[in-house]
Amino acid sequence: MSSKDPLFTRRTFLKGTAASIALGSVSTFPFDNLFAADFPERTIDIVVPTGAGGGADRNLRAFISVWKKYLQTEFEPGFFKGAGGQVGYETYLGKREPDCYNLLYGNMGPETIMYVLQKPNYKFPGDYVYFNRCDVDPSVIWVRKDSPFQTIEELVEEGKKRTITLSCSRLPHPASIGSLSLADATGAKFNLIPYGGGNPTVVACLTGEVDASALPMANPISTKGQARVLGVFAPSNPIPDRTDNAPAVNDVFGTNIPDLPSARAFALHTEAIEKYPERYELLKSTMRKVFDDPDYKVAIEKTGRPWEFISYADEAECMEYAANMMELAKKYEPLLTA
Amino acid sequence: MEFTFEFLSSLFTASLSQWYVIVPAIVIGLIIGAIPGLGPANSLIILLPFTLVLNVETAMAFMVALYCSARMGAGIPAILVNIPGTAGAAATPFDGYPMSQKGLAQRALTLSFVASALGGLIASIFSIFALPLLSRVGYYFHSVEMVVVMLFGLTLIAVVSTGNTLKGLIAGVFGLLVGAIGPDHIYSAPRATFGFLELYDGVPVVAALIGVFAISEALLMTEVKSIVTDVGKVHMATQTRWAETIIGVRMAFKRWWHIVWTSFIGLGVGVVPGAGAPIAAFVAYQQSRLFSKTPEKYGTGHPEGILAPESANNGVTSGSLIPLLTLGVPGGSTAAIMLIVIQYHGITLGPRIFLDRPEFPYGVLMAMVVTYLFMVGTILPLARYMSRVTLVPTQFLAPAIISFTLVGAFAPRMYMFDMGLALVFGVIGYIARKTGYQVSAILIGVILGPYIEQYFMRALRIAEGNPMVLFSSRIGNILWVFLVLSLVAPPLIGWYKKRKADHASL
Repeated sequence: MSSKDPLFTRRTFLKGTAASIALGSVSTFPFDNLFAADFPERTIDIVVPTGAGGGADRNLRAFISVWKKYLQTEFEPGFFKGAGGQVGYETYLGKREPDCYNLLYGNMGPETIMYVLQKPNYKFPGDYVYFNRCDVDPSVIWVRKDSPFQTIEELVEEGKKRTITLSCSRLPHPASIGSLSLADATGAKFNLIPYGGGNPTVVACLTGEVDASALPMANPISTKGQARVLGVFAPSNPIPDRTDNAPAVNDVFGTNIPDLPSARAFALHTEAIEKYPERYELLKSTMRKVFDDPDYKVAIEKTGRPWEFISYADEAECMEYAANMMELAKKYEPLLTA
Repeated sequence: MEFTFEFLSSLFTASLSQWYVIVPAIVIGLIIGAIPGLGPANSLIILLPFTLVLNVETAMAFMVALYCSARMGAGIPAILVNIPGTAGAAATPFDGYPMSQKGLAQRALTLSFVASALGGLIASIFSIFALPLLSRVGYYFHSVEMVVVMLFGLTLIAVVSTGNTLKGLIAGVFGLLVGAIGPDHIYSAPRATFGFLELYDGVPVVAALIGVFAISEALLMTEVKSIVTDVGKVHMATQTRWAETIIGVRMAFKRWWHIVWTSFIGLGVGVVPGAGAPIAAFVAYQQSRLFSKTPEKYGTGHPEGILAPESANNGVTSGSLIPLLTLGVPGGSTAAIMLIVIQYHGITLGPRIFLDRPEFPYGVLMAMVVTYLFMVGTILPLARYMSRVTLVPTQFLAPAIISFTLVGAFAPRMYMFDMGLALVFGVIGYIARKTGYQVSAILIGVILGPYIEQYFMRALRIAEGNPMVLFSSRIGNILWVFLVLSLVAPPLIGWYKKRKADHASL
């Protein structure tokens, strides 16, 4: 180039300007929305509103061990227990970015009841959506194997003569509502004693501190032969061969107690769904594949949880379940709060 | 299953063959135990991907070794710089730190290591032989009995307040009030949280521990050049290299019976699901002082004051695994994480395992025995070098303590809030120390308060509000009698001795 050549001609200046504007526009374009294929580029964080080492931990690890095959990323569970799940939910909704890289894995039943009773600083439905149910675990009343009570009728009969003590994980729980409904319907007196978690609740019943226990079915099953399930708060018993053929409570007493399962599900910020619909679709479609993967069955069986409890449900079904739980919680609010 | 010598011998050999995971786990455990905030439970969660790929026996040997050594490690900073690594070592500085100030850190560490190893060893060997029997303890210790056990621990507030009982009681009540922050034990509703989400699950014990002990101690350190007295420095300079270690070992073995019975307190408390090392350590310290011929020496650097809590908190380790191994239900957070690994490998715990696969539960306890044997050889020689920490000038030591422990306050829950909370507790602890209020009394209240409230409220609810439930159990009533005796006997004996001495002098 000769020294006389101008550095910029008018044409090159205009070309350069146009190119810069185009580049600038491109850089501000919402690529995230356009290319869901780039998602996920990093680890997905999962807030669990209970402590590490419990049933939620085991089930979640089983799920993500298979899910990572389909989503091609790693997962990082974080455990935020406290106040019946309120700490976990408030942490998720208040301190985690709504970008689909942050999920919540909760127990819809007790945690929706907690929402009604404790009135935390978030809005449901509104701030988040349950969109992928992983399992359904019916609530039951059970006793230790050498208990004098062989059937639910015997327990209720005794409850008409004296107060029966029932250990429960916490008062705002579907199993607790089931027990209170049964007492209400039959005239038996049940005194619910909260132990703050599944494991101590099981121990209290096995060691005889209480007469019986109200928990999701997976808990007495995990004791491997030390427990006898007396009655199930569900239309039918999903695993009669592993629960002493325990009958449905409504069949025995002719009552109309609603179906009261615990149901673990993934939840997502509503804002994230609106902002990143492609990411949401990808999460849903890859999660769905997990349920059909034989490796998931193997992973679940390793946790000791019956495969029969594994049951997928989509957003609509999850939200309907949550709405029903809210209704029940409102109905029993005076009995479940101080 | 035949419980023969061959069976035990094969378990011992199998555990010994896991040395390649046990030794590294001991080293990791000692380090994480010594750093406030990094307890065995959260460390095992971080290491979960590693333990899941090992075969289950190796994974259990690793986890058990880490768990036991973390208990021992927690006593190291408690003795050297008055900062317990975990709440389980909260009673260790009562006598450990005064020994360090006198230049006897090496001896104090040796006492702690021997007591921890022997206490843990005795409890785990006893557990192997009495496993079916111990699995029944949980059937007799319910909420009522645990209320009384907690009260034994709470009476320590009076013990540590010797000299100014009123200030000690005020500090203890303040601790109990702080411990009451968080969810109530019946309805799970948050209370007294001042709107802080981070307090909804209660005041984090680690942040309180770090603030009250570590930060306040570091602030005090800035007022002196060294934590060791001038006499202590002379003592450290004149002692031969290993003499203090040998003296410590001798002192510990001379008090072997003390180690034995306090380890059984740990084992007994550990077997009860939900109870743990802090309760065991406080109760053992209180009982040790009660039965001592020289109770006035406690709190001044008395060997038994180190042996009792360290032996007890290591006795807890085997006890806390018993509900897991016999019922299949974890008794604490560390056991819950072990259960994840066990279930991942398809092993079902509970009574049937003693018929189907007895080598597994007994093997876990044998891995504990081997761990404690290895631990003595690993750590005892280090006492000499660790004790040099006390000679570091406080201008370096104090800032190092504050920065390390603040990270420790953050680590368990990853909340910045906890670092701020530790600083607040640090200032409270500093003011308390400067005005003669016992910080140990505050901490006893913070740690034991939630436990006692939980058991008390549960007992009352079971009895539909009838307070007489507290006197409804035979074991509970026996414990009440012992509790009353432990409160009444020392002043009575003191009065009797004084009267006798007065008569003799006439």
